[in-house]
Amino acid sequence: MLDVRFIRSNTFRWAFGVACLFATFVTVLFAFIYFNIDDYLIARSDRVIIAQVSFFSALPLERRVSAIEDHLAEDPRSVQFAGLFDANGSRIAGNVGLLPNGLRIDGSVQNVQVAPLNWNAPGNPKVRAAARHLEDGDTLMIARNVDETWEISHAVGEALALGLLPAFCLCLLAGAWLSLRAQSRVEEVNQRVRRIIAGNLRERLPHRNVDEPFSRLAAIVNGMLDEMESMISALSGVGNDIAHDLRTPLTRARLTLERGRSHAGTLEQLQEAADKAIAGIDQSLAIVTALLRLADIENSRRSSAFGSVALADLIREVSDIYEPIAEDKQIRLSVGIAAKLEVRGDRDLLFEAIVNLVDNAVKFTPEGGEVDIELAQSEQGTVVRVTDTGPGIPRQETEAVLRRFFRSDKMRNTPGVGLGLNLVAAIVKLHGFRLVIHPGPGGRVEIICTRQERAGQRSGQLECPEARFQAV
Amino acid sequence: MLMTKVLLIEDDGETAQEISAELTDRGFEVEWSSDGIDGLGKARSLRPDAMIVDRLLPGMDGLTIIDTLRRDQVRTPVLVLSALGAVDDRVRGLRMGGDDYLTKPFAVVELIARIEALLRRPVETRETTLRAGSLELDLIERTVRRGERKIDLLPREFRLLEYMMRRSDQLLTRAMLLEEVWNYKFVPTTNLVDVHMGRLRHKVDWPGEAQMIHNVRGAGFILRTLA
Repeated sequence: MLDVRFIRSNTFRWAFGVACLFATFVTVLFAFIYFNIDDYLIARSDRVIIAQVSFFSALPLERRVSAIEDHLAEDPRSVQFAGLFDANGSRIAGNVGLLPNGLRIDGSVQNVQVAPLNWNAPGNPKVRAAARHLEDGDTLMIARNVDETWEISHAVGEALALGLLPAFCLCLLAGAWLSLRAQSRVEEVNQRVRRIIAGNLRERLPHRNVDEPFSRLAAIVNGMLDEMESMISALSGVGNDIAHDLRTPLTRARLTLERGRSHAGTLEQLQEAADKAIAGIDQSLAIVTALLRLADIENSRRSSAFGSVALADLIREVSDIYEPIAEDKQIRLSVGIAAKLEVRGDRDLLFEAIVNLVDNAVKFTPEGGEVDIELAQSEQGTVVRVTDTGPGIPRQETEAVLRRFFRSDKMRNTPGVGLGLNLVAAIVKLHGFRLVIHPGPGGRVEIICTRQERAGQRSGQLECPEARFQAV
Repeated sequence: MLMTKVLLIEDDGETAQEISAELTDRGFEVEWSSDGIDGLGKARSLRPDAMIVDRLLPGMDGLTIIDTLRRDQVRTPVLVLSALGAVDDRVRGLRMGGDDYLTKPFAVVELIARIEALLRRPVETRETTLRAGSLELDLIERTVRRGERKIDLLPREFRLLEYMMRRSDQLLTRAMLLEEVWNYKFVPTTNLVDVHMGRLRHKVDWPGEAQMIHNVRGAGFILRTLA
């Protein structure tokens, strides 16, 4: 009948536990109240008895008997008993025949049984009685039937107990309802997730904009799915790019070999064809390697290898390396270091990024031009800036240039695979920095090392993915 | 003359044949094993002068073989071959005891150059002066002279020449130079090496002097001592 999962669910068990605890607590409370009321009522009754004993004792003899008779007459419920006995134990007044057995004549109130005169009910009532010897030798006994107080206590107890059962049931019901509710939400999430796993990446978890744990969790998972979706579509894009860009050099290699095979007359010609084909294949391999590296960096968890990196040293090393190359092209390479600035990052990757930027700058600057590498501090953070006097990137292309394999038409024939900037972008993103590409004329690319938060840096990018690369 | 014995542990038959043929052509004696466990056995029994070990092998993977040998104090130089080309893979390969690491696909010339480099590893000397042909390099003073002529070198050029002098008369590929002299863990425009080498040659080989730094077309560079 009831889903076993339901009963076993934590919420239900928890609710049941609380209900039981509640019941126990209430029972203890009731017991406490019950017995207290009981004691209170009896104590009050006892006080009345003692007061009556004092009262009657103080009366003069003539008045005493009539007072007792009046007292008993005013008792519609027959709860009062009184007896005045002489020194021999015979009754002088009252509705009790004999002094009860076992009653100590010391004025204290005790539980005894009395044998009332004209008693119709079966059995002798149990009463609270007190007795005292009077100065004239008589013994006075006053008693009250405490069934009444017992009845009152019972009534109170019952009333309270009557409330316990509904409270217990309510607790259980509440627990059951909460459990069902939680379960239905989990079931809903399960279904969505199953659909997502089946391939429908567009699905998102439902969440009302309420600030409660489930909604917060749903929001986080949705963010994660957003990121996954964009990564997967980027990857599938890469698949297309790879196919396209590998086909070209591979096709060329094949054609060259075919031609060589059918047209080569001498061994040298064949060797030449083979050399060309090898070059084409090498280029394809370079593309594959570069793409794998790119994927590796983009999916890398290398933020654990971060240390303190002295950017000034990196820049000087890069300029050292590219000096001769720049000189060959009559390009003036200058370095401007404002201060010995340091950032947290992966030294090798940052080195590679700067090398790529400088490589591009030197590659695309015509003879006699200038390339500048600067390290400076700005309000946004430490800045590494590479500028050149080449044509730069046209405004319309500043965004496109980060697409894989993008080579602007002017650059079609320069060496390289076209992934340099992608690599830089991936490295920049891994570090949580910003890459800013300014439009031409003149090349101007900046890596702004924004102050990083701790480890969860990459997940912080979820809110505004476009802000990672900024095309100005 | 005793031929240099090379043990090749590679499971791909075609690749193994190509490598064997090349090595044999150059005068090496080649022993081939296509299985990890068998290869390890042969390494112990044949005691080759050098080994070429593929990483992904049936039976026992390449790195485990090397690790096992190293634990047994076998110091045979090993060149690791692998299709796994990421930096971390390379680092791992070297850390497990490999002496050099080459990713597939590779140019045979590269393989040969590296094997020869492994076989003729420069001896660690406490000499503070390196000599190769008429070149003399002072490691402490950081100066170089060719005969009587003093040569002015930038730090990187000095490092480059030092590397070449320690391996004189050996073919040094661009990749080797990038890895050892520039410590590159990635391959930038390889033109880099050519340009720097060009400048170095400009300073070392003056017109009229015998050429010591040679560019071997399609392969790399070599410093000939002309002895």
